[in-house]
Amino acid sequence: MISFINVTCSFRKNAGVKDLNFSIDDGEFVFLTGPSGAGKSTLLRLIYMDLFPEKGKVLIRDFDSSRMRDRQIPYLRRKVGMIFQDFQLLKDRNVYQNVAIALYASHYKTREIKSRVYDILNQVGLGHRVHHKATELSGGEQQRVAIARALVKEPMVLLADEPTGNLDPRVSIELINLLNKINKKGTAVIVATHNYSLIKRVPGARLIQMNEGEITSIT
Amino acid sequence: MTIFWFLFKEGFKGLLRSKYSGAFSIIIIAVSIIMVGFGYVIARDTLFAVGNIRSQFDVDIFIVATAGPQDIEDFHQKLRSMNEIDQILYISPEMAAEKFKKEFGEDIFDILDYNPLPPSFTISLKSIYRNLMSVEAIASILQRDSIVDEVKYRKNFLIILEKYQRVILVVVLVVFAVLTIISIILTSNSIKMTIFARRDIISTLKLIGATNRFVKMPFVIEGTLEGGLGALLAGLIIYGVIYVQNNYLQSFFDYRLNVSLRYYIALFVLGLFLGWVGSRRAIRRFL
Ligand SMILES: Nc1ncnc2c1ncn2[C@@H]1O[C@H](COP(=O)(O)OP(=O)(O)O)[C@@H](O)[C@H]1O
Ligand SMILES: [Mg+2]
Repeated sequence: MISFINVTCSFRKNAGVKDLNFSIDDGEFVFLTGPSGAGKSTLLRLIYMDLFPEKGKVLIRDFDSSRMRDRQIPYLRRKVGMIFQDFQLLKDRNVYQNVAIALYASHYKTREIKSRVYDILNQVGLGHRVHHKATELSGGEQQRVAIARALVKEPMVLLADEPTGNLDPRVSIELINLLNKINKKGTAVIVATHNYSLIKRVPGARLIQMNEGEITSIT
Repeated sequence: MTIFWFLFKEGFKGLLRSKYSGAFSIIIIAVSIIMVGFGYVIARDTLFAVGNIRSQFDVDIFIVATAGPQDIEDFHQKLRSMNEIDQILYISPEMAAEKFKKEFGEDIFDILDYNPLPPSFTISLKSIYRNLMSVEAIASILQRDSIVDEVKYRKNFLIILEKYQRVILVVVLVVFAVLTIISIILTSNSIKMTIFARRDIISTLKLIGATNRFVKMPFVIEGTLEGGLGALLAGLIIYGVIYVQNNYLQSFFDYRLNVSLRYYIALFVLGLFLGWVGSRRAIRRFL
């Protein structure tokens, strides 16, 4: 589903990622670990094509980074869900609106939007929070809204960049358990984290370790 | 349909949400429209005043001395049948002599012992024929009549008038183009403030797979609504100024402002246009 072929992508002073080669299959759970600055975020941005390789190419199903046009990027992103350390919710809107907007942007019909949004919010355990403003929720709840927004359009993969970075340990574990549950239903999940203690919470997950822009070990 | 309705609501909500910067944009648009609106009226009335001085287009037709009363009556009838002509004034030799006396203060019979002044007609043209080309054409038709001795009109003056009218028209058009461009720049800069305050929604929408069109539309709709509101504000102010001028100030400025409903509709469309182009220009930076 996802293949990196000799991918190099650098910023000034050579930082970035170098010569990445790996692939990830449908339905896998992958941890991406390494110290801060190792290149985890850069690797994820290459997947949702916020960055493009200067050498090599990234293949996501039928999307090929070397042949991508700007106007195709939205269609890739409807297949790739993303969540971030800072949640990136729309602060002035309620939970329902934050999730529904992803479906409006993908041109769903009103009736379908409603049932999908309620369904996904129940799945992430926020059925009782539908009409709260995003800012009235706890960090863990906000991250679950972000997950609902990413999942509601049924992506093939969910990317999580330090999803527990702003959460306390107990809530972090709940969140990883939720991601595991989602993965069991068939969505591939890639979690970038420098928190090694989370890894053992998902038995059988693959592990990609990075350092200074290179993959140092892969299972 | 869902999508259009959603984007429209987003645009409308955006307008309500952006209190100060939205109000600022509306005021900028209103000021732009007031400039263009009054500029138009002043330019129009100036051109009209210069171009439509009725008597400048009058044509004098002098009749041959040998023409009898019946010939003159027939010719008068012919003039009445020409639909380019608005008014016809017949000046008999006696009336011409009186006019001469009034203008020169001397009786023509004191100088000569007979009246040398021929009978004549002075015709004024309907307004659409008050231009050099039509006057020339009409004069040459009349000249062909055997009863006509001479046709006179202010040819040299009309040539100069047309030349200046063209210059004024070009100047007015250039000024308008510049005003419109300035308006668009001002509008788009003030809309940029609105967008800047909400740039988080743009990056979020792009991350979740919204097309540029989807991201753009609410802001463009919001800008167009601001344009409409700015136009309404400008329309009210212009209406008020015209009302005050025509009802209270006319004794100071001898000038009556006349505008039609069409004029207000045109200003409204201009407002929508400014908001639409301005917001499209403004959002380009943020995509
Ligand atoms: N936008 C950027 N401009 C310049 N350098 C960057 C940028 N993003 C990341 N880098 C550099 O690339 C390297 C990898 O960064 P990143 O992928 O964010 O690491 P991680 O997410 O593992 O902490 C770091 O050295 C970082 O400083
Ligand atoms: Mg990072």
